[in-house]
Amino acid sequence: MDGLAPRCDHTEGCITCGDEAIAMEVLAVDAERGLALCAKAEDSSARSTVETALVEPVAAGERLLVHAGTAIARAA
Amino acid sequence: MSGGMKFVEEFRDAALGKVVAGEILAAVDPHRHYKLMEVCGGHTHSIYRYGIDDLLPENVELVHGPGCPVCVIPMGRVDDGIAIARNEEVIFTCFGDMLRVPGSERSLLEAKAEGADVRMVYSPLDALRTAKANPDREVVFFAIGFETTAPSTALTMMRARAEGVTNFSCMCNHVTIVPPLRALLDSPDLRLDGFIGPGHVSTVVGARPFEFIPADYGKPVVISGFEPLDVLQTVLMIINQLDEGRCEVENQYTRVVPYEGNLRALEVMAQVFELRPHFEWRGLGFISQSALKLSDSYAEFDAELRYSVPGVRVADPKACQCGEVLKGVIKPWECKVFGTACTPEHAIGTCMVSPEGACAAYYNYGRFASEKAVV
Repeated sequence: MDGLAPRCDHTEGCITCGDEAIAMEVLAVDAERGLALCAKAEDSSARSTVETALVEPVAAGERLLVHAGTAIARAA
Repeated sequence: MSGGMKFVEEFRDAALGKVVAGEILAAVDPHRHYKLMEVCGGHTHSIYRYGIDDLLPENVELVHGPGCPVCVIPMGRVDDGIAIARNEEVIFTCFGDMLRVPGSERSLLEAKAEGADVRMVYSPLDALRTAKANPDREVVFFAIGFETTAPSTALTMMRARAEGVTNFSCMCNHVTIVPPLRALLDSPDLRLDGFIGPGHVSTVVGARPFEFIPADYGKPVVISGFEPLDVLQTVLMIINQLDEGRCEVENQYTRVVPYEGNLRALEVMAQVFELRPHFEWRGLGFISQSALKLSDSYAEFDAELRYSVPGVRVADPKACQCGEVLKGVIKPWECKVFGTACTPEHAIGTCMVSPEGACAAYYNYGRFASEKAVV
């Protein structure tokens, strides 16, 4: 897994099934494949590849709301 | 640290929280009882984690709704998933919480211990990657979640088709938020004054789908963020509506939720999914048009068509009162088996399995407080 620590436990919410998205910052964009490398806003060491088709175009430095590996909104 | 940290911290500021709590105290009518339902499991988790309950006046009660997708999955669907997972060629992928949800005889985790190849993934895209990495196996993704998660599954199915990945399929358990809310509002034993609306579902569906709640049922809805200050401000906005005799959909979470939602997400969902005529919800029974299946144009990726599944309806365990908890009729600790026969380690009901579930959230963060309150 690319950096996001498992969160499906009983002290933290589950990032996938809990229907709660997390804020991430775009580090690099792969426009051709509709993907971006992002870092969690609260912990920049937690990185993940994110689908960006629903919020394109995106640029490095922008903040996205990410759920289950897909950006569903821009975080202001 | 990035500017983002500061952004989040602002919404966790304890001093500001006390200010808003003071405004709530000043706004409430002391002769009135306010019963508000948070629809989303993420809110339930946040309320317990930050002790938001403790900052509210005694006559403001928060009850927990059906908004945890894991908690509403009926046992029969878990059994169906296990039946697929037991096929020798199958790698069965699902989110972590699903692994521990009890079926009628065993959970997916137990099926894994017995030899089924069940793997946890963090996203549908991870499941697709697993398929590409194992071309000689069949990878099935157990899709679950409300409209927050459904676009991610939809995009992955589109990607699978575009990339010609044929050893990949989806057992679709996606559910939609509005039909269960309507079912709850039609339920005769429900007494509610207003709703804390689901923040992240709304980034996809927007605020408009909730307009029927004030229009048809006369109850305010305020769409809310997940930080403590978001939830407190939302409670204040609902109380202000009630006290001023207003009743409408308001959006507290404007920094993220556009009123119209994410039109592109709705488009991809419409391409990949269609509504099931009905779907069973744990504790709530069958609800019309409340879940999604793959549409005819994606039938080749439908795991329920590729594999035979028992499709048997399994009654909830008798001792389990998840239904009443999901409807907000009883609090988690009022369930007969809460904290005794049913714990996060040995869950009887789904509300105890997922950390977003009202029972697990309460067990982990509020158990001792509740014991004090009950005495």
